[in-house]
Amino acid sequence: MIGIAQLSYWLILGLSLGSVLVGGYVGYQAYRGFRRHDSRPMQYLSIGLFLLTAVAFGLSFIGSLLLQQGILPLRFEQPLVILTRFLQFLGVSFIAYSLHKR
Amino acid sequence: MSEDWELAEVLDLLSDEYARSILAATSVEPMSAKELSEQVNASLPTVYRRIEWLQEYELLEERTKVELSGNHHKVYSATLGRFAMDLAEGGYEATIERTSRTEFPGEDAEDTADRFTKMWENL
Repeated sequence: MIGIAQLSYWLILGLSLGSVLVGGYVGYQAYRGFRRHDSRPMQYLSIGLFLLTAVAFGLSFIGSLLLQQGILPLRFEQPLVILTRFLQFLGVSFIAYSLHKR
Repeated sequence: MSEDWELAEVLDLLSDEYARSILAATSVEPMSAKELSEQVNASLPTVYRRIEWLQEYELLEERTKVELSGNHHKVYSATLGRFAMDLAEGGYEATIERTSRTEFPGEDAEDTADRFTKMWENL
């Protein structure tokens, strides 16, 4: 019998991984668009998408694992969340910038 | 659909080998005059004459293909779907059925990355 807590844990993990995969796919297409057409907006868009999905998720995932295992002291939990949010903010900023970069 | 054509004129047009080849080739995918010239083995002026002729009877459709590189060019696509001729009661009746292509076949053959780039850059 799987508890509700464990079920939500896997659900959250699965959905996060899904966002990373789909976000990574979109970012990859943007990167190909940048390489093919030497398009600045696509370069910033792909950087933004990767930051928003893969990098931010990777950091929070690895971070929470390290916290759980006690490798990283618990006082790092808050800074880790801040860093993740900062990376996400940076990601959307890149995307916004790519809209105006010609 | 305009029906102000004469049977004899259309038969004339369809009896032309180059005109038929152009229709056949462009029914698969849109082609530029240059591509058609290679495909049907005819000179460019010959191809252009047939294109004009086919367009007079709305059997061929023209569209400008936008390239990201800036080299826009015209491509042509066949709109003829069926040509039928009936003989009854001492007269001929011919019908032309056209396929109205809302989008050119093969137009989306470009890659996702290309379309994405075009879309994003045009925002």
